[in-house]
Amino acid sequence: MTRHTAVSRRTVLKGLGTAIALPMLEAMRPAVAAAEKLGPPAKPLRMAFFSVPNGVHMPAWTPLSDGYDFDLPLTLEPLQAIKDELLVLTGLTHDKGRANADGPGDHARSAASFLTGCQPVKTAGANIRVGISVDQFAAKRIGHYTKFPSIELGIEPGRGAGSCDSGYSCAYSNTISWSSESTPVAKEVNPRLVFERLFSNRLADPGGESPAKRNLYKTSVLDFVSDDARRLKSRLGKTDQRKLDEYLGGIRELETRIAQAEKEATADFPDLNVPPGVPQDYAQHARLMCDLVVLAFQTDLTRIATCMLANEGSNRSYRPIGVPEGHHDLSHHGGDPIKHAKLQTINHFHITQFAYLLERLKAIPEAEGTLLDNCMIVYGSGIGDGNRHNHDDLPVLLAGRGGGSLRTGRHISYPGETPMTNLFVSMLERVGAATERFADSTGPLPLLS
Amino acid sequence: MRWAVCLLSVPCLMGLAPLRSVMRADEPQAAEAAAAFRNQVAPVLARYCTGCHGGAKPKGDLALDGYKDAQAAEKDRETWERVLGMLELGEMPPKDKPRPSPAELEQLTRWIQASLAKTDCSGDKNPGRVTLHRLNRAEYNNTIRDLVGIDFHPADDFPSDDVGYGFDNIGDVLSMSPILVEKYLAAAEQVVEKAIVADAAARQPVKRFEAKELTGGDRLGPRVMVSKQEAWAEYQFPKDGQYSLRVKAFAGKREHPPRLSLRLDDREVLAADVTETKDNARAHEVKLDVPAGTHKIVVSDAARTAPAGNGDEKGSLLLVEFIELRGPIDLPASHRRIVTCEPSGERSRAECARKILGDFVPRAFRRPATREEIERLVKLVQLAEQQGDGFERGIQLALEAVLTSPHFLFRVEADPEPGDPSGVRALDDHELATRLSYFLWSSMPDDELFELARRGELRKDGVLDAQVRRMLADPKAHALVDNFAGQWLQLRDVAKVNPDADLFPDFDAELRDAMERETELFFESVLRDDRSVFDFLDADYTFANERLARHYGIPGVRGSEFRRVSLAGTPRRGVLTQASILTITSNPTRTSPVKRGKWILENILGTPPPPPPPGVEELDTSKEAMLKGSLRERMEQHRSKPMCATCHARMDPLGFAFENFDAIGAWRDFDGSFSIDPSGSLPGDVKFQGAAALVDLLKTSRRTQFCRCLAEKMLTYGLGRGLEPYDRCAVDGVVASLEENDHRFSSLVQAVVHSDPFLLRAAKGDEK
Repeated sequence: MTRHTAVSRRTVLKGLGTAIALPMLEAMRPAVAAAEKLGPPAKPLRMAFFSVPNGVHMPAWTPLSDGYDFDLPLTLEPLQAIKDELLVLTGLTHDKGRANADGPGDHARSAASFLTGCQPVKTAGANIRVGISVDQFAAKRIGHYTKFPSIELGIEPGRGAGSCDSGYSCAYSNTISWSSESTPVAKEVNPRLVFERLFSNRLADPGGESPAKRNLYKTSVLDFVSDDARRLKSRLGKTDQRKLDEYLGGIRELETRIAQAEKEATADFPDLNVPPGVPQDYAQHARLMCDLVVLAFQTDLTRIATCMLANEGSNRSYRPIGVPEGHHDLSHHGGDPIKHAKLQTINHFHITQFAYLLERLKAIPEAEGTLLDNCMIVYGSGIGDGNRHNHDDLPVLLAGRGGGSLRTGRHISYPGETPMTNLFVSMLERVGAATERFADSTGPLPLLS
Repeated sequence: MRWAVCLLSVPCLMGLAPLRSVMRADEPQAAEAAAAFRNQVAPVLARYCTGCHGGAKPKGDLALDGYKDAQAAEKDRETWERVLGMLELGEMPPKDKPRPSPAELEQLTRWIQASLAKTDCSGDKNPGRVTLHRLNRAEYNNTIRDLVGIDFHPADDFPSDDVGYGFDNIGDVLSMSPILVEKYLAAAEQVVEKAIVADAAARQPVKRFEAKELTGGDRLGPRVMVSKQEAWAEYQFPKDGQYSLRVKAFAGKREHPPRLSLRLDDREVLAADVTETKDNARAHEVKLDVPAGTHKIVVSDAARTAPAGNGDEKGSLLLVEFIELRGPIDLPASHRRIVTCEPSGERSRAECARKILGDFVPRAFRRPATREEIERLVKLVQLAEQQGDGFERGIQLALEAVLTSPHFLFRVEADPEPGDPSGVRALDDHELATRLSYFLWSSMPDDELFELARRGELRKDGVLDAQVRRMLADPKAHALVDNFAGQWLQLRDVAKVNPDADLFPDFDAELRDAMERETELFFESVLRDDRSVFDFLDADYTFANERLARHYGIPGVRGSEFRRVSLAGTPRRGVLTQASILTITSNPTRTSPVKRGKWILENILGTPPPPPPPGVEELDTSKEAMLKGSLRERMEQHRSKPMCATCHARMDPLGFAFENFDAIGAWRDFDGSFSIDPSGSLPGDVKFQGAAALVDLLKTSRRTQFCRCLAEKMLTYGLGRGLEPYDRCAVDGVVASLEENDHRFSSLVQAVVHSDPFLLRAAKGDEK
């Protein structure tokens, strides 16, 4: 495959974290146009969820006044340029992050409940179960419009040894996306692999085989194995059948994608270069992941994404920004002002990466506005204060104008105990996956529009 | 309501229970237990619990007032497991109700633990069931290596496997998300593409001898006639290998058809009657192995080599256009190993496909393949043919399907028949061979295991023992180091530690690698030399290279090679004083006696402490605080708080014993300006001074506890599931086996393999 490149993707993705060159974005345009032919709506709404671990230092997060007239607190300062595209939502609660008689394990619970609103079953392995997450709920309803129903990203791989949190399986701490109550969706942490996955049919060297033949072969293999799985399933017990259902679900998704690929316009797509693997530097890594979300949204390869900026309970050291201590250790600050300052530095750093994402989305024209106009991006943590492990008064941002359905540029304070899942109900309605209730929701979240 | 939610968490409590129940090796005698119930337990229950959990409508359906004596109470295991869990979590009694004093609490939990520890191992067995087990990343890589014979690690790009019960090979936790299915399919494509070369000959260098370049024969225009006189070419074959030889020839108009004969030197390698004429002439091909060097390729007409004589106009006539050779065809070993049949005149593609798949599929599925499975795969080979692709491409396609099939990706064990009243069955030999090989090798069974399974001999007297011995001696047993030790000792975390570069300028990548390597080599030597498992605690030897020896202050070790070194005269003994363990249990900026103590409780003694209740202040490490006293003094203040005291009294003394080792495991006499006090005491007021003394104590007064812990870890890993209360009997068996065999490492493995949970499978336990 010749790589005649009008605009080298490498200049973009190798330029790690530096602002994207505009010419490239223009070059991507035809692809967007091509992708838009795929299916309704013409200005699709996208949703994404970014999580950070260990809560945040709330005094430097929560704006002092409500409404349009508020000053960004210290931690949120990197968002100055896009303050008008933003809602700061204060007072949301995840009741299912609380112990509710299950004892310790707030970190595991906060990640498990973050997008599900459900109480995870306390188990180190057998019978892991929580609930379907909001992104996957939407993916099952609107995912068929795009080649990928959703993408799940992260920065840290799962832990390779030991236990994660107080008798909870590590699956709970390392996952925010659940495609069913018992299936955590593995996240991809390697930018190169995300890229190859998204653009595989443009990167693969067909070795002389036509796409039609390749798809025929692939479909035949998938037919064979799904046949195997169905036959096998009938011989197994209930728990094992669930595993095969997970497998069959994956096969079906691949079959759908192959069918999608056949419809896909290929002519106008720009040639792309593969980004590197996992960068050592956290900021570079996070920005690459942001780049990929932007790229996937822009080309309408998917409309739904999640990204864990670190696993819950992460004890990562942020030495490059002058915080060599472990994040989790620090989050048990015990009221120490020095630790507060260090935590705030980490929070600020994470927000800086998020601001990068939003600025990139805003720089991409779409229809009469920008890509960000057609996004709803949640950023937050399932823990408020890392020292108290509280699950009320959560730090939550909602960015993007939701296709014009959100009145952005405000700080909204909700009454205590307002379920975070009410926000999900409001978002699901907007993306065309309306539901009256989601987990412990009590209705849509008011005041957004 | 609180209890209703809690019901969901029973599996967790059950998971904890066996660990808890092993805490007390000193089980009180029956009479003592009865008295304890009467005098210490019943009154506490009456005072704090039965008010709600009793009477006509006990809360949460939990009644604690109905037991007339200890015997009655002990029968109700499930209840006590729930109670124990609640007490340990501090959830009950509710915070607004009177709560038992620490002493009362201790009496109550001690009694519950003791009675839970009394499992009747003589009755019905419940071997438990292992949830359909997806190959994890290590298992997938190793299996591809052994099945296909290529050194290629496709699973390195898979999302990481989640961990349950401390290990990443737990069937319950190994979920199958869409992205994984996608990765498996992509990996299967890559694997077959690497393993099998489709249309191999077409890609090789070609040498063609046109008719005019041949020696001998009779030139006839652009052709050469070989019927009267053979023709040949000489060629220097560059190296040993497989070559393809092709001869394009046709028959002249004569009475008899000629018979093409191709010889390499004196050996006939191809013979074929040639019926084609000038207009439909075709190339005849043969593939063969040729040793390097100059060889003569001779073409002749076998129909005329009979002495019939010269110029027999009525005989045959063979005309040759060219001889072509391609090669060496650099087929990878994997290709040769898998593609054991080439379709030819005698064998159709389907027949060859059946032969190849008949060899491959049983190895991939780790059991005999059904005829029907093979036939469905043959259809894929035929599909490629219909699409105009070569035979090898068809085989690739079929293998792709095999490597994506659930029979390959999951270790399938069918449940006992629904009608079986016992609900328990012995694993068949193939299932057992599979469990064995994934336990000891993290890979598929080898030919010997398959053969034993096929003959049904795996369970014959002594066979299983001998196989375990053989497997432990095999290099593949290194998987136990990577996957068991890597997780039991949490060695995998060494790659992730971040000691602060200002405080520990000595720490670099080389030291990090050396730390990990030391513990790996140490574990491997216990395994290979079949040493006592107590070596883990108190071995007076280790493995070091120059870098690590310098870190430890051991003189005389030069170079980057690791070697066994004596620890005599040093303060170090066993894994607890190895830099790897000391570093992963430290914070980036300082040691953490709590983490070290917790690590020992979890991984050596098998009695993990509950996590701190929320809202507890962490230790103040600010500069001002540092001036107020040593780390130890400040921690002692910290744990004077009642809510912290119980657990820290268990963790901290263990951790303090290692305070002479800094956060990267180097020896120190001072922490800042404070001299180190490594003294401590274990419950029962047993005093010790420093790491070596503690290690001695662990080996003597906690020996059974250590053996139990190791047995539980090994059983969990070997089975790929969390332990349940009914596994206690199996754990007992493993501990007993250790005791009877001088605590040799192999006896630990043998006992796990011979345990009921390993050999049997129950239908019970499904659908919790």
